[in-house]
Amino acid sequence: METTVERTVTLGSKSGLHARPAAIFVQHAKSYQSQITLVKDEKTANGKSILSVLALGAEQGDRVLLKISGSDAETALNKLVRLLEGDLG
Amino acid sequence: MKLLRGIPASPGLALGPALTVRSAPPVDPNEQREADAPAETARLEQAIKQAIALLERLKSTASGPLAEILAAQREMLDDPEMKQGAIELIAGGSSAAAAITQVANSYAGELARLDDPYLAARSEDVREAGRRIVAELRGSRQTITLDQPGILVARDLSPAELAGLDPRFLLAIVSETGSASGHLAIVAQGLDIPAVVGVAGALDEIETQQTLIVDGERGTITLDPGEAERARVEQRLREVENGRRALEVYRDRPGLTADNVWIEVFANIGSLAEARKAVEMGAEGVGLFRTELLASQGLPSEEVQYQVYEEIASLLRSPLIVRTFDIGGDKPVPGLDIPAEANPFLGWRGLRLSLDRPEELFLPQIRALLRASLAHDVRILLPMVSTPEEVEAALALIDRARRDLESAGHSLRHVPLGIMVETPAAALTLDRFTGLIDFASIGTNDLVQYTYAVDRTNPRVRERARPLGIAVLRLIDAACRTGIPIAVCGQLAADPAAIPLLVGLGVRELSVPPARVSSVKQFLSTMTLAEMQQRAREALERS
Repeated sequence: METTVERTVTLGSKSGLHARPAAIFVQHAKSYQSQITLVKDEKTANGKSILSVLALGAEQGDRVLLKISGSDAETALNKLVRLLEGDLG
Repeated sequence: MKLLRGIPASPGLALGPALTVRSAPPVDPNEQREADAPAETARLEQAIKQAIALLERLKSTASGPLAEILAAQREMLDDPEMKQGAIELIAGGSSAAAAITQVANSYAGELARLDDPYLAARSEDVREAGRRIVAELRGSRQTITLDQPGILVARDLSPAELAGLDPRFLLAIVSETGSASGHLAIVAQGLDIPAVVGVAGALDEIETQQTLIVDGERGTITLDPGEAERARVEQRLREVENGRRALEVYRDRPGLTADNVWIEVFANIGSLAEARKAVEMGAEGVGLFRTELLASQGLPSEEVQYQVYEEIASLLRSPLIVRTFDIGGDKPVPGLDIPAEANPFLGWRGLRLSLDRPEELFLPQIRALLRASLAHDVRILLPMVSTPEEVEAALALIDRARRDLESAGHSLRHVPLGIMVETPAAALTLDRFTGLIDFASIGTNDLVQYTYAVDRTNPRVRERARPLGIAVLRLIDAACRTGIPIAVCGQLAADPAAIPLLVGLGVRELSVPPARVSSVKQFLSTMTLAEMQQRAREALERS
């Protein structure tokens, strides 16, 4: 079943989405079938692409919209929101 | 015998054969494919898989910051957007190598334009990922192998290339590009391997197997050294090795004079890497953390500062004395508007600037320090103080920050406060600071400069200053007589000619570069306190 879910998240990682947290996020994102998108200000990133996630230039405390659509969207949303809100390292 | 010069990037001396690494020719971004699009795409996918497999192997042996860089690079190789972009270019006629190079360069450019200097620096990682894929496509994979001791000579070396090398065989690094604070310098210092970077034309001058001497302190490379020169370096290397062994016993001991009077030996640091080195070298604490180095890319936020102080203090598990920003007209900070001054050393700097711009500079730093002090022994040190009134003003601001935090539910303990004694005014009237401060630390470089009115950056007059002259010794003597605990954190603190005089006058803490901690402890153990006091008395009378 195709569903689309979204939520706005405040980044908890102390270094924002720098290389290491971005790599961890992308590895998790890739484990889902769904299409995963991050939106910050006017920029949109493919959540499975580390280059496009890095190019967001997101820092701790930034608010980021997480949009997920696909068969496992609900599960992915729960997991990825927790990752973004927590300290990715 | 020929001499090349570059930028000293990591200290030390090495003698051995050169191993030159010549980079592959660059990719022509307009190169057209010879095969049809599906075949070229398949080649690209195969090359990406091989590049990932190679990086996985490198990653498995790396640790620390290098492992993090490699983990991010591995994700970059596997990036679906980068691959898709390249496949589209291949469909349009590009060769796989040209396509992946174009896409990688375009992402690198995008990252380089971000405000965040850390992310901008990642653009080099993206280019490197592109080059790795190209190397697989060409079948000219560039793994550098060192199976015997050698000195690596290259145009540039990426962290990934360094990770694949066996540090036991890596005697020194020479590169044509790079800066004193670049990737290569940081990795070489971490590995304790001499490095000279920015050596123009190194690859034109040096052949593989040619014998080299690399001096990482002076930034020189000697080609084909003569017999006498080789013998001299071999002798020095033996001395360094013997010295290192002899000093090892001092690492885990406190600083003690021959008659067991405890003189604390602390370290001066400017970064987390230096904090690690301080711990490794057996420093009993950090006597001077130069926080202005955190502001080289712009003023760090309270949160960023808190994370740094917290991380360093947990690493040390011993006192961490943090000097508040010592910023002035001669040390510009991006984003911070400080007017250029005719006399920056006598100008709007250090505590003066912090007091005049509290919301921007002083309060966020103090809040970060007070928060870090909740769990650690953090102490505050104020730079460029001349009068007690300045300290009173600072204390009022510190109280304000303390009340903010207490009303947020934190219960703070007393955080010791100290001042730098850099001006003759502070040294001569230190007794008037009693009750306001818990300790004082003499910054000998500035105190000497202000006492003799000699600009240490001016070669015409530099030699006229007398670091151990009677004027400076009298000032230190006056400071020690106040009964306020006195530390010394300038260059004199590590100087064997100065240590007996300083300790003899009453200094009980020496804060020195991390690499000098053991040798200072060793030196302290060679004299009794009475002998040092005798030397100090003689010096005060003689000079």
